[in-house]
Amino acid sequence: MTWFGFGFDGFGQMRPAGVSGQASCNVNTPVLISDVCGSECGVRVRASWSSRADVHRARCGSHVCVSGFVSGSSEEDCGAVLPESEGCTDALISERYLTLSFTDRVECWEIQHPQNKLVWKREQDNTGHAVALPLVSGGYIMPKPPFFRPLCSKLCAVSLALGSEHAVLLTSDGTVYSWGSGSHGQLGHGALTSQEEPQVVEALWGVPIRAVSAGNWHSASVSRNTEQPINEDEKKEADVFISIQAFPALVDVPNVSEISSISCGSRHTAAVTGTGDLYTWGWGHYGQLGHGTENSTDEPTLVDYFPSHHMCVKDVICGLWNTFVSAVPKEQPPS
Amino acid sequence: MAPVWTDVRAVLPSTVCEFPLHFSEKIELSVLKVLELARDELYSEADCPAAAERAQVIIDYSWEKLNTGTWRDVDKEWRRVYSFGCLFKVLSLCHGNPSQYDIQEAIKTCDMAFLKQKVKLDCVSEPVINPAQAVPRIHCPSLERFRSDFLDPQKPVIIEGITDHWPAFAEHPWSIDYLRTIAGCRTVPIEVGSKYTDEEWSQKLITVNDFIDRYIIGTAEDGVGYLAQHQLFDQVPELKEDIRIPDYCCLGEGDEDDITINAWFGPGGTVSPLHQDPQQNFLAQVVGRKYIRLYSPDETKYLYPHQSQLLHNTSQVEVENADLVKFPDFSKASYQECVLQPRDVLFIPQQHWHYVRSLELSFSVSFWWS
Repeated sequence: MTWFGFGFDGFGQMRPAGVSGQASCNVNTPVLISDVCGSECGVRVRASWSSRADVHRARCGSHVCVSGFVSGSSEEDCGAVLPESEGCTDALISERYLTLSFTDRVECWEIQHPQNKLVWKREQDNTGHAVALPLVSGGYIMPKPPFFRPLCSKLCAVSLALGSEHAVLLTSDGTVYSWGSGSHGQLGHGALTSQEEPQVVEALWGVPIRAVSAGNWHSASVSRNTEQPINEDEKKEADVFISIQAFPALVDVPNVSEISSISCGSRHTAAVTGTGDLYTWGWGHYGQLGHGTENSTDEPTLVDYFPSHHMCVKDVICGLWNTFVSAVPKEQPPS
Repeated sequence: MAPVWTDVRAVLPSTVCEFPLHFSEKIELSVLKVLELARDELYSEADCPAAAERAQVIIDYSWEKLNTGTWRDVDKEWRRVYSFGCLFKVLSLCHGNPSQYDIQEAIKTCDMAFLKQKVKLDCVSEPVINPAQAVPRIHCPSLERFRSDFLDPQKPVIIEGITDHWPAFAEHPWSIDYLRTIAGCRTVPIEVGSKYTDEEWSQKLITVNDFIDRYIIGTAEDGVGYLAQHQLFDQVPELKEDIRIPDYCCLGEGDEDDITINAWFGPGGTVSPLHQDPQQNFLAQVVGRKYIRLYSPDETKYLYPHQSQLLHNTSQVEVENADLVKFPDFSKASYQECVLQPRDVLFIPQQHWHYVRSLELSFSVSFWWS
């Protein structure tokens, strides 16, 4: 499994050669992330605006490596290992905080200072069926004080996507809830008002959803059976196009029958198909769409790099202005 | 294109030490790092191709912050970051040998920084005049007379003869060509749509040249456009030199600095629906004529103000096309009206309802004071 990245690289979170070495901070076509090591470990990549955190899970132990602004001037190939993260099972990174979950606890570390500082901690039961961050037992973790927010346990939350001012929740029966600021239609309730408490996205009622994602002002979800991604409430970058869609709308990804995963950056979206292709759309000024240009587009477009290098895309994670992709070589068809 | 760098550099502090970048801890260290790099490059005098890109990064990131939450919630610090981003972008554009396009981009960037600082209030005014109930006219009243006869009793009046000395009428008579010369490339907010209570009403940012071409001279293909309620004189200081604050403003309690001066520039047919403003107003007409109707606050019960918080200072009634079935009491409201001519200054007392329709190409300047 190899990881690739494209988009904003102003802090060397993609190419650890150092900021001053680059002519431009934009990476328009996918580059290999050399420091995500190990075929032994599964690695999960997480990204903020200025940094990247790789969660290495190995049988011998897990830890997080960081690169970009947070790692300081580390020029090692493998990013900087965070000793605080030894044994963690998952991590999330934002500009100010790193959230680490362990089997018995969750911690938030402030990463803006020269020394990382533990600012919040909470014990938790090893529930066996662990949920993914930012969900924790009983609620979820926001990347700012007071960190922990409770969630009604009746919701049976399975995954949670946090945008800059809204949240999208997926429950075990495939229902989507949303809350927070609604000013750009990102809640999918049909109006532009905000909601304090989780509200069902009625328009998706009856469509079992299996993944949700949230950008700064938009949300995206993937349905279980009917395959197509559903983009809730797009708001795109001002000088390219502005559209506000306050109800979920089906996104037409041409020639595609199934979407396996989806991720949102601040103003762009990326989707992986069942056949291992990557499509991106939205704001592209930093090359985060990976098409070799700095153009934006509102049409899902294939990232040609992967098929032309005989790679099959497995997963995608978006930072604010960049995109990270994991891929494996395509199996040769039997001749 | 003549190099502007020497002029631009002269306006900046001479050394890095005199250019501190102090922000509250709301501003993340990563952003601060980019700001510092941009500033240090500026003073290193080396030609740095990444400078423009760095500035754009600062602009884009702070733009995202500025658009998160309502404008009230956004920390002022992010507006400062945005301004610095614009400054660094302008400097990188002016460095070396800038092209015509670079200079235009630089000016547009300054305007974007300026516009982000402003907070739009919601009111528009449009008076209408009725000959049988004409607003009285008076020529150069003394301060005392204006105060005793109009300001204290809060009565509207048109004052004549107090703007003849304005450069806008004398040394630099305002015209389309003059405005193009002084402010043609400046970006301004334009209201599009027949009136702000309409559903299709919207705002866009275009240059003064574009506005003149498309909405003043051009055919009505693009609809009605109005450069309304904009502090153009803060944005373009040269235009401010062409006008003067009326002496009568000194009768108020506020400082001269607190007087809000707005420009109102548009083709014939712009309409400001009947509404009221919280301050005293001198509306000075410079170019063209406007029909204005005034209702005293005592008539409010006949004027059907909107119930919503946003529009409670605005009447629901279309003054020159009143639906008397829906708003029957409107015909009971008594009013005054006038056609405001160039050089006239209309005194609109605080909270007086007013409706305005331009009869032709018009440029007015309003002074809101207390």
